[in-house]
Amino acid sequence: MKTIALYSIKGGVGKTATAVNLSYLASKEHPPVLICDLDPQGATSFYFRIVPNKKYNSAKFLKGSKKIYNNIKGTDFEQLDLLPADFSYRNLDIELGEKKNPQKKLHQNLEELSTEYSLIFFDCPPNLTLLSESVFAASDLILVPIIPTTLSLRTYEQLISFFRENNLDTKKIRPFFTMFERRKSMHREITQSCKGRKGFMDTTIPYNSEVEKMGLYRAPLNAHLPHAPAAIAYRRLWEELAEKEQLT
Amino acid sequence: MTNPGEMRQEPQPAFFRTSLTGFGKQLCEALPVTFGCRELSSASHTVSYYDSFEWNAWKKKRVIRKKGAKLSLLDLDSGHETASCPLRSTPTHIHPGRTSHDSVRELLSGLSALRAFIRLCRLEEQTTQLHITNDNEKTVAVVALTVMTLREKQREPFSITLLSVSPLRGYGNEARQLTGELLRAGLLSEETSFPAVYKELLSAAGLTPGAYSSKPSVRLDPGEPIHNSALKLLMATFRVMQANEPWLSKDLDTEFLHDYRVAIRRTRSVLAQLKGIFPSADTERFKNEFRQLAKRTNDLRDQDVYLLAAPSLKAMLPPPLQPGLDTFLDDLRAAHKNELGKLRRYLRSRHHAELLHSWEAFLTEPQQCSPDDPPDALRPTASLAVDTIRKAWEKVLRHGRNINTEATDEELHGLRLDCKKLRYLLEFFVSLFPEKVIGPVIGYLKQLQDNLGVFVDLSVQQEYLYGYLSEKKQHPDYDALSRASIGGLITALYHEREHVRKRFHATFSHFDSEETAELFSRLFQQYR
Repeated sequence: MKTIALYSIKGGVGKTATAVNLSYLASKEHPPVLICDLDPQGATSFYFRIVPNKKYNSAKFLKGSKKIYNNIKGTDFEQLDLLPADFSYRNLDIELGEKKNPQKKLHQNLEELSTEYSLIFFDCPPNLTLLSESVFAASDLILVPIIPTTLSLRTYEQLISFFRENNLDTKKIRPFFTMFERRKSMHREITQSCKGRKGFMDTTIPYNSEVEKMGLYRAPLNAHLPHAPAAIAYRRLWEELAEKEQLT
Repeated sequence: MTNPGEMRQEPQPAFFRTSLTGFGKQLCEALPVTFGCRELSSASHTVSYYDSFEWNAWKKKRVIRKKGAKLSLLDLDSGHETASCPLRSTPTHIHPGRTSHDSVRELLSGLSALRAFIRLCRLEEQTTQLHITNDNEKTVAVVALTVMTLREKQREPFSITLLSVSPLRGYGNEARQLTGELLRAGLLSEETSFPAVYKELLSAAGLTPGAYSSKPSVRLDPGEPIHNSALKLLMATFRVMQANEPWLSKDLDTEFLHDYRVAIRRTRSVLAQLKGIFPSADTERFKNEFRQLAKRTNDLRDQDVYLLAAPSLKAMLPPPLQPGLDTFLDDLRAAHKNELGKLRRYLRSRHHAELLHSWEAFLTEPQQCSPDDPPDALRPTASLAVDTIRKAWEKVLRHGRNINTEATDEELHGLRLDCKKLRYLLEFFVSLFPEKVIGPVIGYLKQLQDNLGVFVDLSVQQEYLYGYLSEKKQHPDYDALSRASIGGLITALYHEREHVRKRFHATFSHFDSEETAELFSRLFQQYR
């Protein structure tokens, strides 16, 4: 089993859209796949039309295997399951802080799922907290979407610094550009300057209004409109990742 | 180590008999208001099921299904697919050891490497699927209506209509609510299961899964006259012969002939070893007839054993000599085909039909008791069982102990036959003794038989090769490489046989031990 986190300190950079589409593509070639929605806003769960069970909350998530197990739900797509987020997840950090070894908690909690799934995706909330640290420890790869702007690039540098200061493995980090608009000179310059930089993925996801419409039809773009420009780019990103990381 | 995904627990579908003939107004009206329907897909397929003659898949709780261009293994209890591979054709049988499709071999060889999987039945399956959604328009269950129609020649068309409800993971409650409503609306009748439906289909095709066994269990009564018990044993053995005989000429796999030969040997063994039970003229006649019949299959079996071992025989030779064996194997296949033709003709002969007929008559016709009866016919089964087993066991010990350090071919050949006789006796009378005593006895004997069996096989193979070489001596097409390969093979087989010979004394003393003697004496004490 491999674990892949979609993570960024900054919000609105396309984490959820990437998590939803990559997990969908992965489920076709590397089944079965689980996507864990860790963001209390529950956008991933919303995209898959899934509501958590009434009794499910952050406390159960922290209890681990069996409780997690009972709350996994099948999406409308074969071999793709989802652990929905609950609004109570907003307190996950505080609750994590009360546990022993909070950084390792997520890793331990998911251990039993390793025989069930080939791949697990984490869709993370945008901040840098104890939960993020737990995700860093539990993930084999950390995909970081970056809009080609100075502000977005700056948060990436902050993440790298944080990893170095805390002796974490920066080799796990895989940044890539999203919402790229060719007509903007800044986008062109920034993507150009980062080309070939260590860890950066070659694939760039273009800005595509169809991605925003995922909220209307509530399904992965790659399932609904596989020929949309962003869908094609997501497919390329998955193929690049699968090849470089030998996922399939 | 489990592969990821193997453990992923899919929710189990529930199967119901239904009066519905199609999805329409009826079903949608019966749905609770919180549910909706989406996407109606319809497909029709020809489905074939396969299993071996001795039901290897069924016994391992698996079902082999060919549907569309895919061959799948299903779990018998749930009907869930556990593995699959692509397969375009729909053959009448698939032999994992003979198929050219690597993926098919991989899929089936875990069930049996020796047996062919034969097509059991063929049916038309028409499936209509409906996605049941909740108020979020999220699919919570898939409902499928399947009409299966069995199409078999010379049989009435048979059909079953099923409705399955498969909840998506995490939506068990919704699926239960749904089936509850459909049951209340009278659209579903009793719940059934995948194995029940599979069994029903097979039964409609005239088949009973698991019905065949090459060693039928015959319950014997210790006090019953041995004459009756022997008839029961012979009858069960005859049924095994009859079951296999029609398949012999088809040569789908080697085990039909193997089981057939074992049945003949067991028959001969009863006739020879349970003396004084039947009139001696009858005994002599049938013993002779069955010996002749067995002889007609000897070469075929030797060739089968050779051809099964072909890959390992090749591996015994250094790579440059390996291609030289191909001519030999081709000749062997040709000889096998020829022998099979001879046997096929013989089995159709009047003489053979008369033998079967008179044997069945001998077994079924009531035989009158009279003062002229053979002396032991009325002895209780158990007492005769103990006596004959004791005699056969003592013979194995006497002959085995007489074998000196050299252990000649003749001595080992002879002992092998003694062991076989003892083994058959133990198996005939197995039902008279407690399993925990007779089980280990057979186990110890089997170890000894394995050693002797391998020894004799290796001897027979060498002899066959010597014969083959001298036959080919004058043949102009037979080149040096082929001769060298045969020579190499004889050498390799020789060394292996000598290795087995060296192990003989250790194996025998394992059998000739206090522990085994204790087991035998407990066996005999059973009916003192």
